[in-house]
Amino acid sequence: MANQTSKNIRLGAMVIAGTALLIIALYVIGDKQNLFGSTFRISAYFQNVNGLMVGHNVRFDGIDVGTVKNIEIINDTTVKVDMAIELESQKFIHKNALASIGTDGLMGNKLVNITPTGVPSPQVEEGDILKTSEPLEADDALRTLTQTNADIAVIVSNLRTFTDQMSSPNSVWSVLTDTAASENIKAILVNIKQTSSYTALVAAELNAIVSDVQSGKGTLGALITDSTIATELNQTAANIQLISDSLVYFTADLQSISDRLLSGEGTLSTLLNDTTLAVNLTETIQSARNGASDFEESMKALQDNFLVRHYFKKKNKMLEKERKHID
Amino acid sequence: MLPAGLVRFLTEIAEVTRFTTKFFREILRPRFEFAEFLRQCFFIGYKSLGLVAITAFIMGLVITIQSRPTLVEFGAEAWLPKMVSVSLVREIAPVITALICAGKIGSGIGAELGSMKVTEQIDAMEVSGTNPYKYLVVTRVMATILMIPILAVLADAVSLYGAYLGSNIRGVVSWDLYWNQVFATLTYSDIMPSILKTFFFGFAIGIIGCYQGFNSKKGTEGVGRSANAAVVISSLLVFIIDLIAVQITDLAGLT
Repeated sequence: MANQTSKNIRLGAMVIAGTALLIIALYVIGDKQNLFGSTFRISAYFQNVNGLMVGHNVRFDGIDVGTVKNIEIINDTTVKVDMAIELESQKFIHKNALASIGTDGLMGNKLVNITPTGVPSPQVEEGDILKTSEPLEADDALRTLTQTNADIAVIVSNLRTFTDQMSSPNSVWSVLTDTAASENIKAILVNIKQTSSYTALVAAELNAIVSDVQSGKGTLGALITDSTIATELNQTAANIQLISDSLVYFTADLQSISDRLLSGEGTLSTLLNDTTLAVNLTETIQSARNGASDFEESMKALQDNFLVRHYFKKKNKMLEKERKHID
Repeated sequence: MLPAGLVRFLTEIAEVTRFTTKFFREILRPRFEFAEFLRQCFFIGYKSLGLVAITAFIMGLVITIQSRPTLVEFGAEAWLPKMVSVSLVREIAPVITALICAGKIGSGIGAELGSMKVTEQIDAMEVSGTNPYKYLVVTRVMATILMIPILAVLADAVSLYGAYLGSNIRGVVSWDLYWNQVFATLTYSDIMPSILKTFFFGFAIGIIGCYQGFNSKKGTEGVGRSANAAVVISSLLVFIIDLIAVQITDLAGLT
């Protein structure tokens, strides 16, 4: 009998575990769908609910706060959607919040989104009716698309006339289709290509030179960068020009002089070539020196002469006065 | 004249129907063999628990691992718990439980009652004034009716745990997130029909096992045949009931 009891206990444990699991699962699922717990009801009038069904979620700020409880058609343009919202969320939802119908993900379930407007307003109460913002409707999108299509049709017809004109023989198209022209253009292009490659080389070299010059490398660089040198050099060059011009004449004169000298023409040539003249000149100089000493003696004698003695005395006194004054 | 095979088949159907209606008649009569019922519940329910749990665990794990590549292809890896939980709870766990029980319990009942029939214990019971149908059949069928749903619920839980481990072999799904996703996905329309049909699975397994045992032919060969037939027919019936259940839930708009 004890054996039977222990079997029954084990059996009972299993049955309780099974039923408890079932009840817990049912409760959790019900809780997710807001079947239990305190809720309050609010409604919203939509023009189109886009396939929303009873049991779909209601989201506030992206959080599941309730479920759709009832959907009924009020009239041809109004559908009333009743929502059961958790009581805990009541304090966050305001009367001016907007309800809209959205989709969970790209192809998920439909849901009602409640979006706060940010404008202060009292909190929502049981039985309140929220304003709605209409979801994007495929019909509206199609209507816009129809208009777009009509516009595109006009544009395409314009484009067609344009292309027709383009392809007529007397148009730009004939130039484009002319093979000779294209050959010429090709040749031109080849030339342009070569020229441009040479130009590029030259430009590169020029560039190197210019950069050297700019950095002051070489004479030219120095010349260009130093402005004083440049002006001086300019003057120097001008002077050199003048000198060299004069030199030409001078050398020419020198040439003729030396020629005449060599040929014994003129006074200087005579002087250079005649030895007797030199002797005479020496004697002349000697006699001139003698004459000068004679003149000195004559002058001394003259100073003592009474006619002019007074002048010389006066002169000496003045000299002496000047000397004292300086001391 | 109808072919002999068809006649045999129709007779068999009639016998089963009579056997089944007898069950409903007998169960309403007083004096329920409660001790025997508990004993059968222990053998049928508790003794099958380990087998069912292992099978369910492996199924949860395997289904998850197998489903992953397809979902990854769609970039819907995050949907793995949702998808697996629905398929496990709606279909796999109940059917696997029923099939395991059809194999284990159906054959057990068939063989036990068959050998009792062959050794004329059932006839002896009738002579001694005990209603063999009430004592042997009603208790066993009631036990299967009540135990299979409980086993199925436990199998659901164990297979979902297996699926949780399966989700975490390659991906990372936290414990909280996993159960959150599972319970956010499951609805009453997933759980209720699947639990409800397990009662019918249990009934089919019990009644077929008992019928095959009660109508066992003479000899050890007859016992073996009735055990075998119990397993085959109850397994087949499990699928047929499943098909009918799906049709009904579909018509009721619960899919």
